[in-house]
Order: sequence, then C-alpha cells, then structure tokens
Amino acid sequence: MDVLHYLSIGFSVALTPLNLGLVLAGCFIGTLIGSLPGIGPINGVAILLPLAYSIGLPPESALILLAGVYYGAEYGGRISSILLNVPGDAGAIMTTLDGYPMAKHGEGGRALALSAVSSFFGSMGALLLMVIFAPLLSKLAIQFGPSEYVWLMLFAFTCLATMVGKRPIKTVVGVVIGLLFATIGIDSGTGILRFTMGIPNLFDGVDFLVVVIGMFAISEVLILLESWARNDLKLTPVGKSFISFSDIIAVKWVIFRSTLSGFLIGVLPGTGASIASAVAYGTEKRFAEGKDEHFGTGDIRGLAAPEAANNASAAGSMVPMLTLGIPGSGTTAILLGALLMFNITPGPLLFEQQPNIAWGLIASMFIGNIALLVMNLPLIGLFVRLLSIKQSYLVPIIVMLTFVGIYSIHGDTFDLFFMIVLGLFAFILRKLGFSLAPIILGLVLGEVLEENLRRALSISGGDWSILLNSIMTYVLAFATVAALTAPRILKAFKH
Amino acid sequence: MFDRIFAGALLVLSGLIAWTAFHFDVPFQYEPLGPKAFPIILSIVLATSCVWMIVKPDKNSWYPTKEILIKIVIGLMIMVLYATLFDEMGFIISTTIVGAIFSWLFGEKPLRAFLYALALSLISYFLLADLMELNVPTGLLFGDL
Repeated sequence: MDVLHYLSIGFSVALTPLNLGLVLAGCFIGTLIGSLPGIGPINGVAILLPLAYSIGLPPESALILLAGVYYGAEYGGRISSILLNVPGDAGAIMTTLDGYPMAKHGEGGRALALSAVSSFFGSMGALLLMVIFAPLLSKLAIQFGPSEYVWLMLFAFTCLATMVGKRPIKTVVGVVIGLLFATIGIDSGTGILRFTMGIPNLFDGVDFLVVVIGMFAISEVLILLESWARNDLKLTPVGKSFISFSDIIAVKWVIFRSTLSGFLIGVLPGTGASIASAVAYGTEKRFAEGKDEHFGTGDIRGLAAPEAANNASAAGSMVPMLTLGIPGSGTTAILLGALLMFNITPGPLLFEQQPNIAWGLIASMFIGNIALLVMNLPLIGLFVRLLSIKQSYLVPIIVMLTFVGIYSIHGDTFDLFFMIVLGLFAFILRKLGFSLAPIILGLVLGEVLEENLRRALSISGGDWSILLNSIMTYVLAFATVAALTAPRILKAFKH
Repeated sequence: MFDRIFAGALLVLSGLIAWTAFHFDVPFQYEPLGPKAFPIILSIVLATSCVWMIVKPDKNSWYPTKEILIKIVIGLMIMVLYATLFDEMGFIISTTIVGAIFSWLFGEKPLRAFLYALALSLISYFLLADLMELNVPTGLLFGDL
C-alpha cells in the first residue's frame, strides 16, 4: 500500500492553499491558451516558465502550475478545432475531422461537451495508469547505469526521428542542433570553454529559458505576422445542443481503447499528443468499418477518440520524465528543463527522495482534471468568447510577456537579443518543415547524454564494448534498432 | 531549393564545429573520451544528414511574398528596438511604443493601437512589478517610481 501512502503525501502537498490556487490558475490559463488558435501547450508553458521561475515559487508549486497549463491546454485545444476548424495545437488536428462537421450541423454544444467528457476520462484513466506504473518504472530505472542511459536516450531520439514529422532526417538534424546547443559553455569534465565565441554570457552555457522562449514564442510571433495577411476566421455558432447520457455510453469503449493507446504512446519517449490522437482516430475508424460509420462527417466516435488519446498521452508523457529524466513530449521537455533550473534532477530517485514533488504533481493532476471538467462544461461560453479576441490585442501581450520573462531572469539585455536571433532561426526551421520539439529534447538531454557516455567510457578505460554489457543494454539496443527499422519493414509488408 | 541552401549552411557549420572542437586546448584530462569527442561525433552526424538533405531535398512549400517578408522584417526590427529600449527607457515607455506598433501591424487603427498599448503597459507594470515583484526596468525617466 506504498502507493496510497505516497498519494496521501501528494494530496497533502497539492491541497495547500497556494498549490490549490496554482492548479486552478494553471488549468484556467491553460484552457485559455489552448483555445486560442496557434498557441499550443508548448508555447503556453514556454511563455509562463520564466515568470513562474522569477516569482520565486517553490519547485513543486512551479511544476504544479506549469503542468496545469500543459494539460489545460490539451483540453482547450479542441475548442478552436471544433468551432473554427483550426486546431489549437498539433494534438488537436484530428479533432477537427469530426468536431467541426458536428458544429456545422448545429451540434457545437454537443461536440464541446462530449470532447470535454472524453478528455476527462482520458486523462483520469491515464493518471490511474501513471500511479500504478510510474513507481514500478522508477524501481526498474534505479538499476540503470551510464550505458543504459546512453541507450535510453538513443532510443528516445530514434523514436522521435521515426515517428515525428514527415522527414526523419530533419528530426535528426533538429536533435543534433539541440545537442550542440548543450555543448556550449564550460565543460564540466575539464573546465575548458567550448563554443562560447568569447561571449561571457555564454560561459555558463546557453540559458534554457532563452532558447525555449526564443524558439517557440518569438518564432510564433513571426508566424502570426506572416499568416495574418490571409486570416479570416469564422466562428461557428455553438447552438443549444448538449451531451446526453447515451452519447457517453455509446463511446465508452472508444474512450477506453483510446486512453490505453494514448497513455502508451505518451510514455514512449519523444512522441506526443499529435501521434497519440492520430493513432487513436485511425484505430477507431478501422474498428467501426461497416458499422454505420460516418467518420469525417461528424461521428461522435471520431471526436471522442482523439480527445481521450491526446489527454491520456499528456499524462503518459510525464511518466518517463519523472521516472527516467527522459521527457515523453516536447512540452515535458520544457517541464524537465524547468525542474533542472530548480536544481532538481528527475530520475528514479525522485520518487523516493522527493515524494512531495513527484506525488504532489500527480495529486495535483487529479484535482486539475476535475477542475477542468467543471470549468469546461458550464464555463465553455467564456472560452468561446475568448476565441474572438483580436490578434492585434493578443500579440502585444505575448511579446511583452516574453521580454519581461527573459529580462527578469538576469536583468541583462544580452538575453533579449539572443532570444530574437534564436526566434528568427526557429522561424526559418519551421518554414522548412523542421519540428522544434527535437531541438528542445536535444538541449535538455545533451549534457546528460555526454556525461553518461564519458562516464561509461571512463569506467571501461575507453573500451566501447561497455555499451553492451548487460541484459538491459541489449534490450534497449534492440528496441532502438527496432524503432529504426520497424516503419520501413511495415511499409514493405503493406506493398 | 531552400532545403539545399539551409543544409549547405549547416554543412559549413558542422565543419567549423569539428575544426573548433579538434583544436580545443585541453591541458589535462582523466577520462578517455574528453571534451572533444562528443562535439566531433555530433558534427559528423550533422554533416552526414546535411549531405543527405542536399541530395534529397524536400519540395519547397513556402513562397513568401514581398508583403510577408516586409512584415516579418518590420516585426524583427521592432523586437530589436524593444530589446534596445527595454532597459534604458523602461518598461512602460518601451512597451507602449512597441505594443502600439504591433497592434497596428495586426490591423488596429493607430489611435486605438496606442491607447490599447498604453493601458496594457500601465496595467501590466502594476501586475508584474508590484504584485508579482518581478525585475521590471523602470527606466531613467521614472527612476524613482
């Protein structure tokens, strides 16, 4: 009954007035951010991270707030998908397929309510799975040595490369760019300076926050500037329709299956909500074949599946972050960076040594999910009205928040200029079809990867065979090769 | 086409990285791998990927018009201006100026854009500096605020 004991510790952390307030605030802000088209969870968390850091919140409270924004935004992403046919973020793309047709038929209210309920069950189910599996995984991970960690990270990068984006090679380039960012600064092993170009501000390495804000928020502003010219979004009226009990009964198995697959895909390192929702949608479509299906024209199963899956994957992606220190998605990569900034190293020992952080976060997610459901059923009108906020009011706020956030860390304008340069770089990358999540993942994991590789080779005196010295390393190496080759083999079989 | 140019630039960069890493002056080291190897390995991976991208580039789907490019350049210039003014002029003045330009760029009428930015900067200053106690520059003009 260890779990219950730790969970009670978690709830005692999560139910303090400060943390309770932060969960609610995080969920509210998250839904708001998610519902605005274009600004997804990753941008929301990125923009708020420096603020949370500078206010001087204790680490568990900051994490609770940011996590609330994360899964709140996964909830909110569906609102613009359904009403505008514009996904709030990549994870909500599949929601447009059946959600928007429903809204067009005058069933906007039903679609919003049903998706809120599916999201709720998806994340609650995933949370329960997390409570069961996270401690087990962390027990397994305690036995990990440097070689295992090297393989684990290679596995994460391989999963990312083969599953995210159209061109795996671009993901590889992204990861390498991120890893190279991580080498900038004083080398911890020998104390020499690497790639600092003589700039004192870089001696400590590139600031994680500056990279995240520059790459996500600043490039987002540039993208908004570009797309504004052809922007005429029409809000579909919500209507008075509402979810019925029979709707929920009709999709209960859809939600169950999608939660399981969403959670599993979330746990896989590197892959996030967009893949989870796509897989769940595809699965349900195949399941329903022939059985009175009108997927793509407003089928409630096509709406429930991606919503349950993307919220389940948000919870799932926290599992490897907390237990292994390997983020499961782009947004958890940012959360991981946040933990590192607070001098907390996530990993197998986190659950044992700092249960208030790991379990406080998990408990807060239970509270947050209930709060989100409550917020999303009666308050949906409020968020819908926010969709019509003009970009001419929104963009100045985003720009201001990013500048204040970055400036308040060191009080140095160098960071502001550096952030803009990175923003331009990221804008070019995005326009060329690169995804930014691999870069953040590379940046966060770069130091750990190099450290573990060097440690492993120190132990062996330079003998590379140490990388294959235990059953676990063989398993992980095999998994890496499998992840690398599986998509090709599957393709070959299809033809 | 853009893919090839970009990959070419990255290829040059990976060469530079390898060259720089190779010339790191390491006075002493206890471990076999040292600080050079990791960046060199990365630059090799990067170079290989870039060659691949040059051989097999993606079809270009981005055709920026002149109007879009101008908007982006203006946007970048305003942000650089913001960064320059932020410390010296202080949060309130710089945010008003920059916020007004952005609001105008996104289609607001000039006067309304200015009033909106002014209100935004004053309210945010109170929220950020007083309520959240963040390190927000007051600037030379309002040094004693």
